Amino acid sequence: MIFVAGVTKAYRDGEARREVLRGVDLEVGRGETVAIVGPSGSGKSTLLNILGALDTPDAGTVRIDGVELSAARPAALAGFRNRSLGFVFQFHQLLPDFTALENVTMPGRIAGRSAASLVTEGLELLGQVGLRDRAGDFPQQLSGGERQRVAICRALMLEPPVLLADEPTGNLDATSGARVLELLNDLRQRRATTLVLVTHNPAVASRCGRTLLLDGGRLARHQAPGRPLNRQRR
Amino acid sequence: MLRIASRAVGFVWHVALRYFRSTRADAHIRVLSSLTAGGLAVGTAALVLALAALSGFQNHLLRDLALHTPALQVELGGRVDSATGGVGSAASIVDRVTAAEGVVAAQELLYARGWLVDRRGVAAVEVVGYEQAPPAWIPVEAAAVPGLIVPLQVAQRMGLTVGGSARVASPRSSLTPVGPRPRVRTLPVAAIYDAERAGYEDLPVLLPLEQAAALFAGGDRRLDLTLAPAADPEEVAADLRAAIAPAEGSVATWRQANRALLFVLRLEKGLVFSAVALIVAVAAFALLASLSLVLSSKRSEVGVLAAMGVPPARLRGIFLTLGVLLSVGGAGVGVLVGAGIALLLDSFRVLSLPSDVYIVDYVPFLVREEDLFVVAFSTILFTGAASLLSARKASRLDPVEAMRSART
Repeated sequence: MIFVAGVTKAYRDGEARREVLRGVDLEVGRGETVAIVGPSGSGKSTLLNILGALDTPDAGTVRIDGVELSAARPAALAGFRNRSLGFVFQFHQLLPDFTALENVTMPGRIAGRSAASLVTEGLELLGQVGLRDRAGDFPQQLSGGERQRVAICRALMLEPPVLLADEPTGNLDATSGARVLELLNDLRQRRATTLVLVTHNPAVASRCGRTLLLDGGRLARHQAPGRPLNRQRR
Repeated sequence: MLRIASRAVGFVWHVALRYFRSTRADAHIRVLSSLTAGGLAVGTAALVLALAALSGFQNHLLRDLALHTPALQVELGGRVDSATGGVGSAASIVDRVTAAEGVVAAQELLYARGWLVDRRGVAAVEVVGYEQAPPAWIPVEAAAVPGLIVPLQVAQRMGLTVGGSARVASPRSSLTPVGPRPRVRTLPVAAIYDAERAGYEDLPVLLPLEQAAALFAGGDRRLDLTLAPAADPEEVAADLRAAIAPAEGSVATWRQANRALLFVLRLEKGLVFSAVALIVAVAAFALLASLSLVLSSKRSEVGVLAAMGVPPARLRGIFLTLGVLLSVGGAGVGVLVGAGIALLLDSFRVLSLPSDVYIVDYVPFLVREEDLFVVAFSTILFTGAASLLSARKASRLDPVEAMRSART
């Protein structure tokens, strides 16, 4: 499903060159859940952005669902992101000018699907996270937890094979965070979606099938899963 | 395929319309977008008015010119002899010209400069020798007796009246046994015409062709052609060019004969248009500022859209559409207001001019479709360029950086 080999990435920091990723290798199978942990500035988000085709590595190979990302043109990458990837960000990143339902159906609109079918599916998804009656509300009318639930619905709208989550509960209180995680797991399991999740939170990481530590620019196995989000297939 | 394309356009409009609506909520963007719309309205209205005024003046001028210029003319070559009737003579050319399809009649005229001499003084005049009747562009009935046909302004200055006489002098002299003598003939004043063209100082004095030929041998000779109403001057001119040798004469339509003037008129219009269009250009800068402000406030959202898979071309499309939405209202209002004011000013002749200065006594306005098209096109060009700059910036945003900006 996800194949990463020898990925390096460096940033210019004034005169200095800071290597964030130093030959990262990673393989994630279909339906697997992987948590990437590490200290701040270790490159977790950079790796996630590279997996999400939002950033390009300086060297190495990234292949997702058979698509070689470094070889694809920008328009093709955009289409790939739309069809094959779902993103859940720490700061929900909902579009404030659009209602909850419009936010959820946005990937479908981008894909060129008809509005009528999207509304039905969007309302169903919002119903699954308990927000059907808030479908017409704008993000600023929703609480933090509700916004993140809407963001999860949006990420899963087109049933992408891969879900990438960057600190999905990092901005929520413990109760809301736990609920969001449950929902993420529940919806993901129904669709057998592969999940790569970046987190600081050991409790969140422990619920994934595999936890990897990113430190010094390299990935290493961190610890055995505590309470996995699903039964591992690999 | 078509359905997907139309949905892509629908998506672009969907987002652009929502962003357009959100510009009403932000005070800064609202002020800037109002300035943009106002500037575009003023600019396009000024453009429409300026072009309408120029078109009005030029329309009067060209109508006057067309009235006093034959649709087609043949400048006879210097070697063509009007006296003989052989091949290459004026008579032979007239025969060939009148045989051409679309030509109703041909009249030979002779043009020269001379003097009108009277007891009160001397006036330098343009002299036109005419054959049979005065040319159609001179507003006078055929004179009862052959003689001078004098413009009213010249007649008043020199105290000439119909029935009187005046002497016409040529700059050419005749060689006599006692030496060269000026060529002068005394001719009766057969008619006086008033062309109502105050300010024209070179209205011609007309006299019969044989008298003119005797006085001004070597003057420029021309055939003025009358065409059938349905005839196309350009097509007839092409036929005549095939029938007349270059040495015999050159054929010109009234547009070709007046091409220097027409060029100046076009140049004048172009220069005025360019100067007034600067207002639209300034408004386009305001549009650029508005769109940049919108982009700045929507930076993270553009990043999210890119992350969700909106391709760069569609991000460009969103901001181009937003530019259209922000500018179309102002430009539309400007065109309507400009055209409305021009029509009112023309209908009620609000702006008057001294009648002895120009051919009309008011400032005429003429709103032409092609002028409106040029205004609309130039406005689209300016605002399109401003929108494109912002749109390109939006499509080149790094989604990661853009989304990060929401948190900082």
